[in-house]
Amino acid sequence: MQRVELRIPSIPIFERVVRASAAEVGSAAGFSPEQVEDLKLAVSEAVNNAIDHGNRGDTAKLVGVTFDIDGEKIEIRISDQGEGIERINVARRVIDDETLEAGYLRGFGMYLISALVDDYEIESSQQGTVLTLRLYRKEPQQ
Amino acid sequence: MSDIIRREEFGDVVILHILTTSVDAISAAAIAAECREMRPITVLDFSEVSFINSAGISALLKFVVSARKAGYQLFAMNVTPHHQKIFKMVEMSRYMPTIEERDLAAYR
Repeated sequence: MQRVELRIPSIPIFERVVRASAAEVGSAAGFSPEQVEDLKLAVSEAVNNAIDHGNRGDTAKLVGVTFDIDGEKIEIRISDQGEGIERINVARRVIDDETLEAGYLRGFGMYLISALVDDYEIESSQQGTVLTLRLYRKEPQQ
Repeated sequence: MSDIIRREEFGDVVILHILTTSVDAISAAAIAAECREMRPITVLDFSEVSFINSAGISALLKFVVSARKAGYQLFAMNVTPHHQKIFKMVEMSRYMPTIEERDLAAYR
């Protein structure tokens, strides 16, 4: 197994650093371009959640990201230093007339993560939240 | 003039060429600000865009809301297959269908 670790301050611009790393790690691990795009988006959403909801934008708190690569998958752990999250909504979230009328234009992140990765786990306590994502290597479709 | 969006107007049409590669939390506010000056046919050109996340989708939804209020038509152009997939997942495609550049020729 190979491991890549990053720690970033809770500042949105540094999400781009993690995203770029996810792209490089996914490509280096032999994932298809489409899977790399899914990986980038899932990691981006998870890191933004850690910054905004976990660490609540406290720039003194860090977001940790670990990529573990083995022969069949990438496992990514995204951890924050917040006080935990009581409820995480992973329900399918789509745009419809009702939400547009209500001006509710956010809340797609966890749905996208849950739809783009093969499996995921959430552990949350008063010491912070850890989101673990797994993507398995797939042969490109002909 | 925004360094995130370049406007191209002709008749009732405005094409908003998104110049940043990332439609994300960093660029969202600058992109969303352009929804204040839409035209009856507004086209967002994604040819330079290689990444869109949910913060970016939220910014794009401001165009959807503005277009609905004004009775304008909103289209997307040059959307990558990956972003078409994401737009379908959140049903953005219903509110911002894709259009081909050649279909705009009649308006020029």
